[in-house]
Amino acid sequence: MKVEFLTDFPDRLSPMLVKELRQGMRTKAFVGVFLTLQIILCVILLSAVAAASSDEAGEIISSTIFTMFSIAVLIIQPMRGITALSSEVKGNTIDMMVLTRLSAWRIVTGKWASIVSQSALLLVTIIPYLILRYFFGGMNLIGEIVLLAVLFLSSAALTAVTVGLSASSSVILRTLLLIALPIAAFFLLLGGLRGGDISTYFALDTEQSRIFVSIYLAACAYLGFFMLSIGTSLIAPYAENHSTLRRLISLVVTIIAAVLGSMSFTDTDALPFYLMFVLLPVFAISLSEFAPLAAPTYRKFEKRGPLGQLAGLFLFPGWASGFFFCLLLTGISTAPFLINQPSYGGQDHFIYGLACLAGLLFPAVIINVFRINGPQRVSNYVLILLASVVLSAVLAGITDSLSNENLLWLFCWIPPVLMFLEEAGGNDDEVMYASLVICIICLGTLLLRAIHAYRKSIMDIRAHSDSE
Amino acid sequence: MSNAAITVHNLYRFFGPLQAVNGVSFEIPHGSVCGFVGANGAGKTTTMRILASLDYPTMGHAEICGINVTHHPAEVRRLIGWMPDHFGNYDNMTVLEYLDFYARALGYKGAERRQRIDEVMDFTDLVPLADRFSNKLSKGMTQRLCLGRSLLHDPQVLIMDEPAAGLDPKARVELKHLIRVLAKEGKTIFISSHILSELGEMCDSLLFINNGRIVHHGDSESLKKSTDLLGGVLYDVQLDGDPQALSDWAVLQPNIEFLESRKNGGRIRIDTEDPNKAADVLARMVKDQLRVVDFHREQRNLEDAFIDILANLEKNQPAFATPPPLPIEEK
Repeated sequence: MKVEFLTDFPDRLSPMLVKELRQGMRTKAFVGVFLTLQIILCVILLSAVAAASSDEAGEIISSTIFTMFSIAVLIIQPMRGITALSSEVKGNTIDMMVLTRLSAWRIVTGKWASIVSQSALLLVTIIPYLILRYFFGGMNLIGEIVLLAVLFLSSAALTAVTVGLSASSSVILRTLLLIALPIAAFFLLLGGLRGGDISTYFALDTEQSRIFVSIYLAACAYLGFFMLSIGTSLIAPYAENHSTLRRLISLVVTIIAAVLGSMSFTDTDALPFYLMFVLLPVFAISLSEFAPLAAPTYRKFEKRGPLGQLAGLFLFPGWASGFFFCLLLTGISTAPFLINQPSYGGQDHFIYGLACLAGLLFPAVIINVFRINGPQRVSNYVLILLASVVLSAVLAGITDSLSNENLLWLFCWIPPVLMFLEEAGGNDDEVMYASLVICIICLGTLLLRAIHAYRKSIMDIRAHSDSE
Repeated sequence: MSNAAITVHNLYRFFGPLQAVNGVSFEIPHGSVCGFVGANGAGKTTTMRILASLDYPTMGHAEICGINVTHHPAEVRRLIGWMPDHFGNYDNMTVLEYLDFYARALGYKGAERRQRIDEVMDFTDLVPLADRFSNKLSKGMTQRLCLGRSLLHDPQVLIMDEPAAGLDPKARVELKHLIRVLAKEGKTIFISSHILSELGEMCDSLLFINNGRIVHHGDSESLKKSTDLLGGVLYDVQLDGDPQALSDWAVLQPNIEFLESRKNGGRIRIDTEDPNKAADVLARMVKDQLRVVDFHREQRNLEDAFIDILANLEKNQPAFATPPPLPIEEK
């Protein structure tokens, strides 16, 4: 007896995408969202047709379409990604997948692409409603189309966040994600709720609009890439080297951000936030990388001579070289501040810079000092970072109500507290010295441990090579 | 480079203070079936995961067909089929879709993929289940599906971690049959199981592991013989009356060890092969008013051998294999 051969998807599609689509299109979540969206939009459209004489009919349709679409693609679809990889890890099926020719990166992107393609299906299905809405008049065509595209890309980025972090075995992290996602989506939803008005901002008819949309899309792409990269690191076998390419990409992005900053292309006040946005995911992954250095990776660098070995110092897998790489990025990121020194002359900028750097290093110090090992170091890094920020905010709130800074000084070893100390109007010199000391302690602790870990990994590899 | 299908040399794997694998070395020749035996937590799964390139050794190395599993995992993965001890199945996916996904993931396209799936489904008798959802299968069917998946790329070496665990007798017989066929086809099979009698029937050699160290490597017959010399002879004794009387009696007897209780009696070990001594023992039983209704010699099985080995280890007498020395840095 022969079975009927499957011809539903062509060979050129990624196996992961095919698998996820086959499964995903049958899930109750997708079918439910799809049908509900269609029913609601039909009802709204019919109601609007009935009230076609109203001047606001078109705007009501727009708002409804964008609201419904936003809820579907900014909340429900990304939430489906929360268990994408954890279910594979829990079911022990991830091992069977990595034993095929699928790399960890293809597994993660396949999961992500499947949810995003289902979101795309939802996008396609609302287009007829938008076409009908056009006949009601008063439509900012380009603005609404770009807004729709931006919502879709935001959904893709949020889905990357959930899929990437779904590889974490930390229940706390995934629960936090469940809470944080609707909050993040809410702010993005505001755009959807006010679709008619905000669409003018996406009309691309002014330079400001074009810059805003470009930066937003670049940020979505960067965030998406790094979150998927975190997921890849968490499930990848140790011999797979994903670190080098990831670091090279982040190096390029940091250099671009720094060059744009040096040219005063962007708002000077916004530059630190751009850099933080660029650096945060890189630090989170690089400082917590668990993967040991494998001999084939080492040899690829070694055969390029001293230059290769120098590159290896920054690009080898593992947290030790990750630390050196973070130092390199920090150096590059400070360039715009040095070049535009007149704009950044204030002590407060210096304090914020030091506190941010110490804040990013602090979780890595905790992980290393308390020897929190294992592949979940990335999750631990994120949790410690979140905890330090939340704790600092709570302490700042208490200090504010007590009108006494002493409590903040007591906890000034938690780097984000230094920013609140500065905000609370603490003595600038004292806060700066404290920031400097905390930063040096974090840097020193990690530097010593990184040198030790780096040398040990190289020696292990060489010893292994000798024994063979 | 070794000519063996599987080579493990001085393999160590530490999880913090836990030494899961502690200097394991062995070789398995091409085309042989090797059973891997050990108590829970002995280091079987860790060793197998390292061989499957899913974990890495703290020290030492492992090779599949001469290829280092840590340094060249991609090449090794083309040579091995892996059946884990437990795994989940996918929701909303039929058996055919399941195999189709893995065949795609292994790089098969078009007609070749169809052929591989057909062959595997035929071999594992999955054709009638093609349209069943994979998460709705029985344990036995799931194991057949997993075996089919692991055979899609026609691997030279099969690593099977407890494949018979949780199977009913019928499914176990079916699985055993499939393994026999694969062995006849010349595949190297490395299989772990708790059911030693089954391993004894299927395997050309047996590896016993305890606390991360190999304590025996040889065929099952040599294992039985070697332990016979140390362990004496086993007898099954059935009583008419309270079976507890046998264990109470045996405790007081020199050169007799009570091994296990059975329905109407128990199993004892007499520390000599001399039949006259056995007759003396029986006579003493009768004299001591045990109402013996059956007294017969039993063939030593692999479970006995395994227990003997563990008992010997506890007495610090590694009679069958000397564990490899610790690496220099551990001394």
